[in-house]
Amino acid sequence: MNSPTKQKKSGSCGCGSALGSCGSHRQEVAKTTSLCGCGSASGSCSSNKEELPISEQEFFEGAVDAAIGDERKKDGFDQVFDVKMDRRSAFKKLTASLLIGAGAVSSCTSLVASEESKEKLQIDWEEQFKGNYKLMENDEKKATVSRLVRSYQLRTGKKISMSSKNAEDDVLFGYAFNISKCQGYMDCVSACVEENNQDRDSQMQYIRIHEMEDGKGFNFNEADDNYYHEVPAEGHFYMGTQCFHCDNPPCVDVCPVQATWREDDGLVVVDYDWCVGCRYCMAACPYDGRRFNWSKPEVPEEEVNKKQHYLGNRMRKKGVVEKCTFCVQRSRAGENPACVEACPTGARVFGNLLDPDSTIRWVLENKKVFRLKEDLGTEPKFWYFMD
Amino acid sequence: MNTKPSIPFLCFCFFAILFVSSCKNHKEDEYHSLTDKIKAESKHYKGTSISSEKYINGLNLLEITENEILFSIPNRKDEIKSFKCTECHSKTLKKMHSAGLKKAHWNIKLNHANQEVMNCVTCHNGDNMDNLKSLTTHTIDFNKSYKLCSQCHQKEYKDWIGGAHGKRIESWAPPRVSMTCVNCHNPHSPSFDTKWPARFNTQKVEERK
Repeated sequence: MNSPTKQKKSGSCGCGSALGSCGSHRQEVAKTTSLCGCGSASGSCSSNKEELPISEQEFFEGAVDAAIGDERKKDGFDQVFDVKMDRRSAFKKLTASLLIGAGAVSSCTSLVASEESKEKLQIDWEEQFKGNYKLMENDEKKATVSRLVRSYQLRTGKKISMSSKNAEDDVLFGYAFNISKCQGYMDCVSACVEENNQDRDSQMQYIRIHEMEDGKGFNFNEADDNYYHEVPAEGHFYMGTQCFHCDNPPCVDVCPVQATWREDDGLVVVDYDWCVGCRYCMAACPYDGRRFNWSKPEVPEEEVNKKQHYLGNRMRKKGVVEKCTFCVQRSRAGENPACVEACPTGARVFGNLLDPDSTIRWVLENKKVFRLKEDLGTEPKFWYFMD
Repeated sequence: MNTKPSIPFLCFCFFAILFVSSCKNHKEDEYHSLTDKIKAESKHYKGTSISSEKYINGLNLLEITENEILFSIPNRKDEIKSFKCTECHSKTLKKMHSAGLKKAHWNIKLNHANQEVMNCVTCHNGDNMDNLKSLTTHTIDFNKSYKLCSQCHQKEYKDWIGGAHGKRIESWAPPRVSMTCVNCHNPHSPSFDTKWPARFNTQKVEERK
């Protein structure tokens, strides 16, 4: 929908990438309209105050003057700073960056700080000011992924692999669920939690399996999604819900920062580093497809799935929204999602909707299929069918 | 006089604008529904670079074509530990019964349909233990045991060929590899047992109090 237009400016980034020689760039940074020269060099800024050609007041007036409408075209630093805001919120937004900046500068100029901690802070700095993943070019995607991998290695000493594989042409992912086959074993739920590194403390689960009484249809009010008895129970049937990857996703429309979007292969994804945690998307989703991290997600080190994708199962942080991605790290590589692989009854069918010979297409064309709340016009790519 | 000719002109302009704007809308939202979109966009499908090959490389597979659909299933004979059966079944069944030999297959209990419909020799051939046999006594290879199942379970068979019954192995991408009947069902006791769910969410209980 949005072409990845970008405005390249030598803003803070010039400073960020040249941490060691921050001072030498100060003049150049100050000449552009942004304040970041001060932000980045907070440690030594006061001594050089007379060098700044504009005052703080002038900067904020400039920021207030900046147009708000073209936010879509802006990326990274610009999207945060080049918008209308009052003094108070401007300071709020600056604080976090300043802290990181101060830390980075103090350690990069210090002789005692170790190489590793310098690198760590350099990574933090660059991550702080990176743009929205949706607008990134391929080399920028690769750069952020390699930073995240290195950062994880520096922090835990363990190596992970992270992919930034884009959507393939001629692929549109779709899913079909056989409600007469599902027996409620919940092997899919377990496999999903392990595959996608979901928080173990809050027992976050993307998939819900609903136990429904025969003869009552889809009655979610009376369904039980947290049963614990031998299954299948007499007189009940089972159906699963998760993110349906709507083709017309309401969650995407409401996101104020465009941290969630529909990829070209139909996956609805979240940039966890761009999400501000407002949870509008959770309110907009008619299917309860999204989950929020109320605390920092904790996964025991030995259980972390190290095969990751930037848009998929990489480690999340506190205060961001996440959801099923049809296991983007697996599906884009050609593998079945973890839930499909784990299902012992074969109730789950996954495939490429654009391939006329695919099994998912056979199901859509030969079985009686339906979707949940079809009348909303959300166009879920998740169909239910019966034998 | 000046205003009169401008009325039809205005009308023309109005409809022209309507026409242009409706065309524009149509372009933005080309399809009425997702199914239309899938149909239209898959018309010129040329395949993708994503393939299942790297996942199925090491598997011992067997290509089959049923209802003009080509796919692979796992080789079965190599999985049966005591194949070939004739290594033990050197004599006819009757002789083996009477020879006072120790019983083999004591653990197999037929729990499939009922005794009126099925017994061992409905599928196994006492005169040709290395193969299965159809209801009309045609020989069926152990690797193609799905043919035996399809004699009664036609609906399941058709769904399986299409991909609605059963399960793909490893990959959604072509070339397709699917499990065959006996990879999930025990042919002697084909229905699934009840069991306990894989997990129980205690946090959810806490939250909903």
